[in-house]
Amino acid sequence: MDATRTHCPYCSLQCGMAISRVATGSAARRVAIEIGPWAEFPVNEGALCRKGWTAGGLRGSRERLTSPMVRDRATGELRTASWDEALDLVARRIAVLQAAHGNDAVAVFGGGGLTNEKAYQLGRFARVALGTSQIDYNGRWCMSSAASAGNQAFGVDRGLPFPLADVEQADVVVLVGSNLAETMPPAARHLDRLRERGGKVVVIDPRLTPTGERADLLLQPVPGTDLALALGVLHLLDAQGAVDEEYVARRTTGFDDVRRAAAAWWPERVERTTGIATDELHALVALLASADKVMVLTARGAEQHAQGTATVLGWIDVALALGMPGKEYAGYGCLTGQGNGQGGREHGQKADQLPGYRMIDDPAARAHVAQVWGVAPESLPGKGRSAYELLDALGQDGGPKALLVHASNIVVSAPNATHVTRRLEALDLLVVCDIVMSETAALADVVLPVTQWAEETGTMTNLEGRVILRQRAVTPPEGVRSDLDVIAGLAERLGSPIPFSTDPEEIFAELGRASAGGKADYSGISYERIVEEQGVFWPCPAAPAGESPHPGTPRMFADSFATPDGRARFVVPEYVGPAEEPDPSYPLHLTTGRVLSQYQSGAQTRRIRDLPDEGAFVEMHPMLAERIGAHDGRPVVVRTRRGELKAPARIVTTIRPDTVFVPFHWVGANRLTNDALDPSSRMPEFKVCAAAVLV
Amino acid sequence: MSQDRPAAPRPRLVVVGSGMAATRLVEELVARRAVATSSTSGGLDVTVLGDEHAPPYNRILLSAVLEGTHRPEALTLRSEEWYAEHGVDLRLGARVLGVDRERRDVMLVDGTLVEYDTLVLATGSIPSLPPIRGLVRMDGSLHEAVHAFRSLADCERLLAALPGSRRAVVVGGGLLGLQVARALGVRGIQTEVVEGAEHLLHQQISAPAGRILTRDLKKLGVAVYTGARAVRLVERTDGSDGPALRLDNGFTLDTDLVVLTAGGRPSTALARGAGLEVRRGIVVDDRLASVTDPSVHALGDCAEHDGRTTGFVPPAWEQAGILAANLSTRLCDESVRYDGTRVVARLRASDLDVAVLGDARAELDAGGEVVEVANPIAGSHRRIVVRDGRIVAATLVGDLSRVGLITQHFDRRTVLGPHEPGELLLPERTGDAGNGAGPWSLPDDAEVCACAGVTAGRIRACSSLEQVRDDTRATTGCGGCASTVRQLLSRRTDTAELATAQKGT
Repeated sequence: MDATRTHCPYCSLQCGMAISRVATGSAARRVAIEIGPWAEFPVNEGALCRKGWTAGGLRGSRERLTSPMVRDRATGELRTASWDEALDLVARRIAVLQAAHGNDAVAVFGGGGLTNEKAYQLGRFARVALGTSQIDYNGRWCMSSAASAGNQAFGVDRGLPFPLADVEQADVVVLVGSNLAETMPPAARHLDRLRERGGKVVVIDPRLTPTGERADLLLQPVPGTDLALALGVLHLLDAQGAVDEEYVARRTTGFDDVRRAAAAWWPERVERTTGIATDELHALVALLASADKVMVLTARGAEQHAQGTATVLGWIDVALALGMPGKEYAGYGCLTGQGNGQGGREHGQKADQLPGYRMIDDPAARAHVAQVWGVAPESLPGKGRSAYELLDALGQDGGPKALLVHASNIVVSAPNATHVTRRLEALDLLVVCDIVMSETAALADVVLPVTQWAEETGTMTNLEGRVILRQRAVTPPEGVRSDLDVIAGLAERLGSPIPFSTDPEEIFAELGRASAGGKADYSGISYERIVEEQGVFWPCPAAPAGESPHPGTPRMFADSFATPDGRARFVVPEYVGPAEEPDPSYPLHLTTGRVLSQYQSGAQTRRIRDLPDEGAFVEMHPMLAERIGAHDGRPVVVRTRRGELKAPARIVTTIRPDTVFVPFHWVGANRLTNDALDPSSRMPEFKVCAAAVLV
Repeated sequence: MSQDRPAAPRPRLVVVGSGMAATRLVEELVARRAVATSSTSGGLDVTVLGDEHAPPYNRILLSAVLEGTHRPEALTLRSEEWYAEHGVDLRLGARVLGVDRERRDVMLVDGTLVEYDTLVLATGSIPSLPPIRGLVRMDGSLHEAVHAFRSLADCERLLAALPGSRRAVVVGGGLLGLQVARALGVRGIQTEVVEGAEHLLHQQISAPAGRILTRDLKKLGVAVYTGARAVRLVERTDGSDGPALRLDNGFTLDTDLVVLTAGGRPSTALARGAGLEVRRGIVVDDRLASVTDPSVHALGDCAEHDGRTTGFVPPAWEQAGILAANLSTRLCDESVRYDGTRVVARLRASDLDVAVLGDARAELDAGGEVVEVANPIAGSHRRIVVRDGRIVAATLVGDLSRVGLITQHFDRRTVLGPHEPGELLLPERTGDAGNGAGPWSLPDDAEVCACAGVTAGRIRACSSLEQVRDDTRATTGCGGCASTVRQLLSRRTDTAELATAQKGT
């Protein structure tokens, strides 16, 4: 049987893989998925991590939802229902709530795991069928700070402005808050090849991770101080005359203010703030100053802060001062997290955006999209609340009364999760579309079972801005529908003025038209081209009739940036520090992150038999363990101002002694985290808060 | 309702000084939108009077400029344009002669009067002139070979004197003196340090630590005379041109340059002249207002709070933040108070490692206990003073490997376990690396490849790397286990042999 070439269901690497169907029994429906390599796909070259190899494990799982469920008013329990009953019920209650409280009484919460077609359709559904401004998605909790910084500095936000494999050709790669060897293992091959070539790797992380083990220089700063480190780097670059003045003059604006701000960040001050000794800072700067091609890559460690945008801007300033962005095999990039973290933020499920990365408050953008949709521009609602603010407003005065959730497990993944769970419970109507009974689905009034990745077709945009095609390889279980069907079914029942297609390719073509002329222009991309070219990089505008097609844009900024004057902008980042500093009651820093064998809230991975599910743990240094009397493997309690988590201690010498780490895949970690938001990206401060650990 | 009423005059804030404290104060006021601009209605009219001619710069990096590791142009903290853009009237080269508190104005040397409603004195400190005869010539100016080291102008003058100079004597073995001495050494000048106390950095570190520092400097080519006071600047006895510095121990050091780094004192002449209470510094309360006149404030090196003057940037900046908060929220009567600051002093000079946290002597007097590791052979001396489980002071010389963490604990007043202070002075624990065990000693159930979840036992069951890849997928994910896998495979044949050998040992 022919294998279907497609991509992994998990992270933003979107590894290529080949799916074969294997009959496991006599019944026609008992078809299992076997995953094999797709060696030619350049991002991963056939490699996968164990999550990818075992991704077929949910197929045929008894935990798969195969029927809509509706909460019975009498018993308070979920019972199965027909699709018609469930959709009728949802539509009826939406209509009642909107009639009583206005259109914004109904909110939509999407996810960075949705295909481009679903993300697009969800935004269209919210703005047209529901007429609500209240739509946002969990991508706010992913790379939004890098997106905000990229827009400010370069005039556009594409995670990597170059193919990932370019890493191999750089001289120095600086990873700020990335543990790619564990979170996206096949990406590490590019680092390894870089090192084989004699290139150097710098890793900045409070923990020594498998990525840090590959570092030629590892810096372990106090969590939340990456910006001070960037300012210290800028200070020394300028002090030593290592700034590329010619590039700065020709291709940028605003450096003078950055230079003055950095003059106040001398190495000893940086040391006191970051805990990074001055000689380590000098070593980093020496490496950067001597290299011809420097690549600075940030990830969640740098971005998930109340100062995430400023932190990324600080590191972009470093890259710009060195004259790197736009240079071959050099520059700045963000290693996006979720599978479609990139595409998910481009097509309209963000509170402030319309498809093609258009801003919803831009009249020209509204007119263009309204014309594609066949509605009046003034009928489109304005800007809504950002993800956390939306959740915080649920059930409050003036806040939404109903929430539709697609591809997100809010109860596990939102910061200050106890509070957010209470907000969800305060809703009049919670509708959750999911493949399994996630912690969030378990709270819902209506649960709608949807297809998973190998059962449907759609495009994703990976961390490189490469638009790829996930192809359907198997028939979905009976009783399961695509999110696209759910959206169309509800739109029809709500009397939407425009129809909603359920055909991904048709939707993609419309998405292309809607994005045409926008920053993320997909109009020249087709399913056919994606298959032929192993993905197409946006922007890829449609070519006028008779001209040869646009080749797509693997590398950006070679000649100009996407700002009005074509120059990159230096932005002065003011260092403020973490929103919550340790004090006598909460003397430690808490940081969170991933482990290799789990993904996000674990709704999928925890249900896959072949992936180890060891539960949460509390990583700490032996010095701290000795101080508090903790023993390896024995339970400890982590406490913050917002909640508590009990989990076994894991005692390692690889973490800062003043910091504890908890993985976020299990319920509990996010009861601890801080909901302080970045003023620009509205990113919560997942990566640092003050904590106490008790035995 | 009030359209006919003329706008109330905006309160005028005059800042005397444009050093680091003053600059920070203005930055904080700008950040709080407390400065009136052409486009805003409220706020303060702010005037900054700086007697230096250079735009505000980072003074503490002057020794790095002298050393040649910091471009002088990169010192500037804020350009003149920046002040103009933010509505601040910056006047450079504006020396203040006097303050009239009755009339609320200050007079500049050129006779200009500048009126204020609120005055901030950020006059900093002035270098002390040690009692050395011959330093000052008959006309009151310094001998041409003698240099102070406080301002950018001082630094530029010294740099300009280097080309014709072979030798230098630095008077004063404190932090600044050592930085300057080292910088001159880096510049190829034969440098000698003269310190009156029995050891270098005597105010900060113990005698044994000071001896280590002396040795370090000698290795770097800088000679040190401790317990010796310079008493007189004389002509050289050998007839060559240039001065010589006579010490009270009988030595006479021929030199081309004499650099004075024997400390400074708060610059309080203006405050005294204005009748404000001055002890060592200008005496201020918790709101950094003069105890004599609440419309006059002082901050930074010139201020004395709670009996202390500081001389460091971080407390001056903390004061600037607090004063800015007070000045911008006057009307809401919600003021922030200053309660002193913990000081971390770091020597800024290549190849000299010194960090001084807090005041070790005072903490010892207060009952602090000492945890100390000294290795004079390796040239390190590290002392931590602990009180109630907290690091309250520390002096680290020659080995700063844990300075980042020690400073964090000091700043955050972390309560440590009984073994921690000692452990902070020992080499870092590095897990099980270095215990000599290679991958071949891994038990069969140990996970070797996390990406694919493959144990050592499964690798051992394979005969080649190809088989490992095909059967287990180990090494095909992140590739981090490749070397371990190769070692396991290479040892596969002689594992039994090795196991026997290990048992035997």
